[in-house]
Amino acid sequence: MKNTLRQIFHSSKFVVGFLIFVGLLAVIFIYPVFHPGNPLDMIGVGTFAKPGTYVSLYDSVTTQTQVLKLPEAADKRLAKVLSDEDRVKIVNYLTAIEVDVEGLDYSDTDALLEAWRANYDESLKPKGMTKAERNYYKRLNNSLNSMGSQGEMIVTEKDPSGEEKQMAVIGTEDYVNVKDVANTKNLVFGTDNFGRDVLKELVSAAKTSIQIGLIAGTVATFIGLLLGLLSGYVGGLLDDIIMFITNIFTVIPSFVLLILISYSIGQDKRGAPVVALVIGLTSWTWTARSVRSQVISLRNRDHVNLSRLSGHSLGRILLTDILPYIASYVVMAFILQVSSGILAEAQLSLLGLGPKTTEVPTLGLMMNWAMLYSAHLNGSWWAYFPVIFTITLISFSLNLMNTGLDQVFNPTLRD
Amino acid sequence: MKKLIALVLSSAMVLTGALSVSAAEVTELPREETLYFGGQQWGTVNSYNPIGTNQNNAMATTAQLLGSRTLMFETLYMYNFLDGSLTPLLADGDYSWNDDLTELTIKLKDAAKWSDGTDVTSQDVIRTFDIGVEIGNNTGTGYGAYIDSIEAVDDKTFVIKAAVTEDGNPVNPLKVNDFLGGVFIAQAAWIDAVVERNGGDATAILNDAAEDVVWSGPYTKYFDDDQKVVLVRDDNYWGQDASMWGKLPVPKYIAHAIYADNAATEVAFKAGEIDVDQQFLPNIQNTWLEEGLPISTYMEEAPYGVCLTMPTAWYNMNNPILAENTALRKAIAIAVDYDTIIANAMTNQSPSFADVPRSLMNPTEGEQALYDHDAVADLQFAGNDIDGANALLDEAGILDSDGDGWREIDGNKISLNAVCPNGWTDWMAAMEVVAAAGKNIGVEITTLFPEWDTVQTVFTNPNQTEYDIFMWSPDGAGPSMPWGRIRQFLDGDLVGIENNWTGNWGQYSNERATEIVQQIPLTSDPEELKALYTEAIQIYLTEVPSFSLMYRPAVFHAVNESVWTNFPEDGDGRNIPPADCTDGYGIAALYDLELVG
Repeated sequence: MKNTLRQIFHSSKFVVGFLIFVGLLAVIFIYPVFHPGNPLDMIGVGTFAKPGTYVSLYDSVTTQTQVLKLPEAADKRLAKVLSDEDRVKIVNYLTAIEVDVEGLDYSDTDALLEAWRANYDESLKPKGMTKAERNYYKRLNNSLNSMGSQGEMIVTEKDPSGEEKQMAVIGTEDYVNVKDVANTKNLVFGTDNFGRDVLKELVSAAKTSIQIGLIAGTVATFIGLLLGLLSGYVGGLLDDIIMFITNIFTVIPSFVLLILISYSIGQDKRGAPVVALVIGLTSWTWTARSVRSQVISLRNRDHVNLSRLSGHSLGRILLTDILPYIASYVVMAFILQVSSGILAEAQLSLLGLGPKTTEVPTLGLMMNWAMLYSAHLNGSWWAYFPVIFTITLISFSLNLMNTGLDQVFNPTLRD
Repeated sequence: MKKLIALVLSSAMVLTGALSVSAAEVTELPREETLYFGGQQWGTVNSYNPIGTNQNNAMATTAQLLGSRTLMFETLYMYNFLDGSLTPLLADGDYSWNDDLTELTIKLKDAAKWSDGTDVTSQDVIRTFDIGVEIGNNTGTGYGAYIDSIEAVDDKTFVIKAAVTEDGNPVNPLKVNDFLGGVFIAQAAWIDAVVERNGGDATAILNDAAEDVVWSGPYTKYFDDDQKVVLVRDDNYWGQDASMWGKLPVPKYIAHAIYADNAATEVAFKAGEIDVDQQFLPNIQNTWLEEGLPISTYMEEAPYGVCLTMPTAWYNMNNPILAENTALRKAIAIAVDYDTIIANAMTNQSPSFADVPRSLMNPTEGEQALYDHDAVADLQFAGNDIDGANALLDEAGILDSDGDGWREIDGNKISLNAVCPNGWTDWMAAMEVVAAAGKNIGVEITTLFPEWDTVQTVFTNPNQTEYDIFMWSPDGAGPSMPWGRIRQFLDGDLVGIENNWTGNWGQYSNERATEIVQQIPLTSDPEELKALYTEAIQIYLTEVPSFSLMYRPAVFHAVNESVWTNFPEDGDGRNIPPADCTDGYGIAALYDLELVG
């Protein structure tokens, strides 16, 4: 046993896969310790907040400021509201309303703004200009106006009696240290369509998905192993019956079966364990077939015959004389089953047939909602890409472990 | 032998190739003459029958309260949901009621003609109504109880006689108004031909494909298959007469490609392959703010459209736990976080319940002015009141006695489901928020998203016990609003109706509320009406037989100005509603369109 383990951990593929998997498990168990709370809390009002650090504007107004004289600050502030593209558009607008733009320099901000302020009229409808374009100019004008004159800003607060009290005067060179602000929130992967913290949800979902995979893998491997052992060792009529059933399950695409069963169970009864069970119950066939063929090749070995002659029971022969010889194979099959169980859950949830939605997040459900709210069409990559990456990482690590084991146990692949 | 097979195969390939080329030729429309639609038609068109039922032909045969789609068939008047007005279409000038509100006289336009050149006459209107009653189509079932008969005065003038009760009052004059903007008039001679070829069999008439139909509208059938449906302009359209539009609509073709789903439609719309899109696009502002696409909506700021209806969660009163515990109904309703629904599920394409407090009225100014805001202010809950909801349940003795985190009634854990059709994105998200509210107050609510086919058969069944809380939308706008909507929320007379598409889907019954619903149509004094409306709202908000989750446009209307421009916009002075350039008075937009550049 010790020797086997040493061999296994000599396989670099297995070690890499194992480390990734353990790393994932570590994150799954450690992260919630430092960031407790319900992963399904809808903290954001509004959908798909971008990843990044959110600083409370309210708190930062009253935070101790530090004056920093940064030479490029004014330019950056300007660039934020007036991009090069906007400059071109301003000239286009002036041309459209037949203002003479001869000699107007794109890079001369003051002249450009002066011409804009003198000529822009919201109520104008220049010929051939679409509503979308007019809306664009209206927004541009609003943001140019909101930029103000780069003077000081005064923040006032309304106290309960309705009187306004001056709270702060903010200059253009005032800065606060993010560490001093009472409330900041770092949303590494932003929020999803419900305003949930994607990272927190992802960690919790990965845990659920691995659980689903483990349950599904255990169920599938157990059934497959049991039927394979019996059918391969006992043979005869029992073999015929078991293989008949197995063949029926093999020819029906298991995913179709999975969809039908999930659908008929009904959403209100579909908790994560139930879904895992259903996945397990539909994916045991190839384990059964391979175990059977391995057992057939073992059945007439001398040590098995000796056991049989000594009058050992069926169970004892299977457990002590046959199982140890196929154990390595079964472990490998189990790993693959876990991996495909996780993928099956993701596929089912994408079709809306996954676990019921209010209890726990799963990777598939996260993708399902991201797709329903067209995250893939509106550029909100953070709502689905980390999920896809996590699924990939899980199945990659499991498959890598499987390949590593294969190299150790399969004589034809040994280096 | 092999050669023969090869020959057969190759000739088959050539043949199919040739066929698809010819289909492509038919459907290759000049982009500058075609207005493309999206979000209306989801399957192969099955008929062009204006008097049938079960048509799925969205572009040609959509008859609805907020304005029927008058591209191919026309109504007497065009409803405008912006101001509730009815603009004459086939009719000439305003309609006139007699003093008892029992007779309504209407004249038809002299210019109004069918596509075969014959006049649109009073006989056509009469035959349209009579056949409806005879075969039980939507006109018959929708108006048969409110209109006694239609009688001709002369060829172009007719009188609609309202059905009257025993004491001589009209049953409901408001529903007669609905008839004017909702019902497509079909040609009497054509109806006769359809009846004859189907041997008078009602089912056959209702399902007739109507290949030979005679129309009066500006467009007619051009081409349809499983990929798209195309209507072509009828250049002999009577409406170019000075008494109507004075010109033809601008686009020569109206086309609607049949897309697989919302996502496919969205991609096509953003790519400029669709000009007018009737589809909920989450965060639509990003299409112009972030992606810089030439897309715009009726209003440039949230809520972007005219919200006319309020999708509502209905409690199923067949479930005794819900029927007997007003406190439970109210607790769930006040615990729901509506701001999250509006910001996240609707992506702010709805005013909030702080802007427009809940009542039975839609957010339009006209309806909001109809009730006494102060009298119901205390009842208008804003939501997310977890403490209040918990207190309400504690007070009512609905407690968690076994300490498992969930409350019980009579020792049984309360477990409810919350249902809406699968794929109806914003509704599904709203239901998730309702379920989350349940979790916060110890009431287990599980969401359930069955397919639409299943949902529609269950919630229209008056005896169903499968869904506890389910989502459905009352009617938004129409000549009979807000009465029609109040009826849908509160009319006890609708309890028990089989195949119920009319209203009161939760089977709620309250004697006083039912009385009010009956009184409103017969009341004309504004003060009296205001009192009735206010009382109805009081009952509704006290009893909470259902709770609205958001406000929503009756139709979504977003346009991509890659090819066409000059679509209706807020404050342009034209008073054309954002009804996808097709519905009710919204069709006026087709006459003003311009090409970009």
